[in-house]
Amino acid sequence: MAATQLSSDRVRPPVRVARAGRRRASGRRLNLVLGIVGLAVVLAAWQLCASTGLVDPNFSSSPAGAFAALVDAVGSGTIWSPLGSTLSIVALGMAISVVVGIPLGLLIGRNKYLYGLTDPVISIMYSVPYVVFLPMLIFWFGIGMNARLVIVVWSAMFPLLINVIAGTRNLEPAYGQVSRVYCASRLYTLRAVEFPATLPYILAGVRQAVGRALIGAIVAELFMGSSGLGYQVQLQTSNFEMDDAMASIAVIAVVAIALTRGVGYLERRFTFWSATA
Amino acid sequence: MNHPSQKLVVDDVRLGHWSSRTEAFSLACDGLSFEIAENEFVAIVGPSGCGKTTFLSALAGLVPVASGRLELTGAPIQGPSPDRSLVFQQASLFPWRTVAANIEFGLKAQQRLDERGRARVAELVELVGLAGKEKAYPRELSGGMSQRVNLARALATDPDLLLLDEPFSALDAQTREVMQEELTRIWQVDGAGRGKTAVFVTHDVPEAVFLADRVVVFSSGPAHLVEVVDVDLPRPRDAAVKRSPEFQEISDYILGLVMSQTQPGRRASDHGSNATVVG
Repeated sequence: MAATQLSSDRVRPPVRVARAGRRRASGRRLNLVLGIVGLAVVLAAWQLCASTGLVDPNFSSSPAGAFAALVDAVGSGTIWSPLGSTLSIVALGMAISVVVGIPLGLLIGRNKYLYGLTDPVISIMYSVPYVVFLPMLIFWFGIGMNARLVIVVWSAMFPLLINVIAGTRNLEPAYGQVSRVYCASRLYTLRAVEFPATLPYILAGVRQAVGRALIGAIVAELFMGSSGLGYQVQLQTSNFEMDDAMASIAVIAVVAIALTRGVGYLERRFTFWSATA
Repeated sequence: MNHPSQKLVVDDVRLGHWSSRTEAFSLACDGLSFEIAENEFVAIVGPSGCGKTTFLSALAGLVPVASGRLELTGAPIQGPSPDRSLVFQQASLFPWRTVAANIEFGLKAQQRLDERGRARVAELVELVGLAGKEKAYPRELSGGMSQRVNLARALATDPDLLLLDEPFSALDAQTREVMQEELTRIWQVDGAGRGKTAVFVTHDVPEAVFLADRVVVFSSGPAHLVEVVDVDLPRPRDAAVKRSPEFQEISDYILGLVMSQTQPGRRASDHGSNATVVG
């Protein structure tokens, strides 16, 4: 597209950038509008089915009923305690995963023996759905807070590890050469070259991990919780309070989007220079 | 024994690397001997894959010398050192650093980014024609501009020996011409007066003749020395030199030397029929 500009070794006119930026912004606005329309169509169809009696609203709930339940849950404050419980376990699980996973991944990625030793284990652990271990985990850790934390860390750790390891191993060899030619110390190379070069992978790992951590937390709460949004949904469904259950699910959806978007913002903020960002 | 003005001494140098696949030592250069004087701009030409880049990497201290003597100002080259800089074939800029921060890299790594270092960086930005682009990121730069940053980064540490590894080979023809003239200009302003000796590796013979005081011709790999050709073209040079008969004569002579090195049956030999000399 910009081939002629690139070849002429001239300053790229800022107009181009501004125009590209505007085009991107208008594209984003179009997507937002389309997304809202798509969502509205689905909700309308659902509402139509429930209102006309095509499906039984006692089982299927309805957008209007769920919205009323949501307003009620927010108004009466009953949503905050389960929300807080889920968020805190996700935050704690993510904190553990980040503190352990990033240094561990950097270490494994840098050492070919450690990598060879751990690669199959990590791949297996990443690929096998952790839910199948749930019954066993209940045996091992009971159904308390600890067991739930284990599941959150379990589900978040492996995508993070895999990304950090990949980032460390895919380090552009030219960067190391530049570092050596200009006699950068080991520490300076780590801080000023290897860490920033790996950052896009680290943040991509964190984005995946956050999504999986939330799923892990909800699944844990569904099966062995005594609090949290997953437990709430499970309880409300058992009590046939479908509107309330749907309202809780809507809250989970908002949390999920907020978390991944939050990390997406960090990625744009700190790795805007990366070609993949 | 050494002439005092000899900056770089290459004496019977053999280079290569251990191939982990075949567990054999593969030879890149053998029996190389020549000398480079202070302030001299020397170009090394030879068929592609002959070991020019390996030789330059050895000068940079990235490849160990297998045998022979490689000395810069009397001291053997044993690894990278702040007195040498390398302009890489691919710009190899750090995409997360701005233009200015990329140029500063060497100074910062060597903990020399003081007031003078900063002034030096500002001066270089000006000199290589990047004024106003200090805060740009590498992805916003064209190939030619990236190589300007690459060059400025190498000059920033004020090296005794400036090494250039086919820095313009990835550029399109016009940009390459512009950059050759730019390099001559920059070197004439920033190099000679300050004692900068330069070694420029290329497979482009006219480029070598245009830039260099002497052209060292390598044989096809493993490289040995074919001939060292003096380029008696007046300085300062500009693009007009390339149309002079002297320039043509020297270029043709060197081209003949390089061609005679292209072995028959070799891949990527575009003048296979002319190739007569084997080994």
